[in-house]
Amino acid sequence: MPVRVAWGIQHPMSGHLTLYLDVDGDVVLNTEPDVGYTHRGLEKIAEYRTYLQYVPIIERACDFDSSNFALGYVRAVEALMGVEAPERAKYLRVIAAELSRIMSHLYAQALLSMTGGFETMTVWSANDRELILDLLEMLTGARVTHTYIVPGGVRWDLPKGFKERAFEVLNYLERRIWDYYKMLFQNRTFQDRTMGVGVLSKKEAVELGVTGPSLRASGVDFDVRRDDPYEAYDKLDFDVIVEKDGDSYTRALVRFYEIAQSIRIIKQALKDIPEGPIRVKVPPTLPKGEVYTRVETGRGELGIYLVGAGTNKPYRLKISAPSFRNLAGLVYLCRDVPMGDIPVIYYSFDILLLDVDR
Amino acid sequence: MNVDKVVEEVKARLADVLLEAKVERKNYAHIKVKPEGLVRAAQLLKECGYSHPASVTGVDYPDRGEIEVIYHVESIEDKAIVALRTAVSRDNPSLPTLRDVWMGVHYHERETWEMLGVKFEGHPELKRFLLQEDWEEGVYPLRKEFKLKPES
Repeated sequence: MPVRVAWGIQHPMSGHLTLYLDVDGDVVLNTEPDVGYTHRGLEKIAEYRTYLQYVPIIERACDFDSSNFALGYVRAVEALMGVEAPERAKYLRVIAAELSRIMSHLYAQALLSMTGGFETMTVWSANDRELILDLLEMLTGARVTHTYIVPGGVRWDLPKGFKERAFEVLNYLERRIWDYYKMLFQNRTFQDRTMGVGVLSKKEAVELGVTGPSLRASGVDFDVRRDDPYEAYDKLDFDVIVEKDGDSYTRALVRFYEIAQSIRIIKQALKDIPEGPIRVKVPPTLPKGEVYTRVETGRGELGIYLVGAGTNKPYRLKISAPSFRNLAGLVYLCRDVPMGDIPVIYYSFDILLLDVDR
Repeated sequence: MNVDKVVEEVKARLADVLLEAKVERKNYAHIKVKPEGLVRAAQLLKECGYSHPASVTGVDYPDRGEIEVIYHVESIEDKAIVALRTAVSRDNPSLPTLRDVWMGVHYHERETWEMLGVKFEGHPELKRFLLQEDWEEGVYPLRKEFKLKPES
């Protein structure tokens, strides 16, 4: 006789989410998600704010990866206006976006380690994330919600001494992540806990619309940065990490390798960055028309559908958030698994409820 | 199949329900069909390799008396996007669900129903998702008649 158990919203591991689990003994038969605890109506607010006022607001859709979200929105605005940012600004955007990605991946790694009881790893990741936050603070003036990327370019140039400090931190992190590898990914207990747990096949991952590192962990070779390049990504050299197994371990591993690739991208961008202006003037209104753009955020692909009506406010803004799409994968996998695996599967997807709810 | 071929294929096989099909920019096409041809169009797109659903958007146009629903679907092989769109009347908006074609649109459709009141016939779980449980019946926040109150 199945019993319905509410996992969350007061569960220490759940975040702003309730999963209603139909449990028989220790086995979860069926899962129903209940989200919306942090719904702020961001899509409706967009219709009441000028397009420039909305830049800080969209960053609140995903605090842990704010520059990438701002970039997605700003690219939609620019595409609608037909404006292109200057070359130097493109590189600066890539630097901010990749630092933001590292910050997001380290946080995901910290949380996943916590579910397995690997508290050392949690503290290591959180500590090293602090170095990235300091770099971002130096570059943008804020630690988490940066509001650095704006229509037409970026708000300010590289500060004095940033390059030197960035190379110091990145060189350290480049060595340091191999400690993570030894500590976490080669750890027998962690492997037992995550390998073969929550296996998503390639076909299922595609049809469920799963995106980002979770999609690439299932063997799908797709990354917007390479396949639909934006900003300066087509001039930078990096690998798209693809793994085959599709289990929780692989999803964490893909994110781990992506940290190394992000470091590589930032180093190149800092070396190759051209001189020039960092911002161009943009028109005060959004022209009539519509546009759909996508960028690769830390959690996956962010799609922005923007309709302009010839005023300074968007007529309609749709945020197709990566965690919203990955939620379908999570619910699909939380069937016929032991209840103890639920937190592992949940954190392996790196779902942030702020961007599911918007 | 790349977007140029998809547009040709759609023009050849869906002529009776097709309203518009064109390639807007590189790797991005939009296809507009009548509501009754939506399922057929979706199946055709899936045959062409467009199996990765990205987003479902509803846009309210009160002056035209219509709600437009747009499915953005991606192809992994061709790195391309197709926007499949259709329009329904505002008074009694109803569309067949595409959940059986693309599993991933399940929650997207649920959200569109909740925010704009578009009823997806055949959807197994059409109930509140993001809004609170005591939200008033028949009030759809993303419709234009729903106004936000000024804060001051």
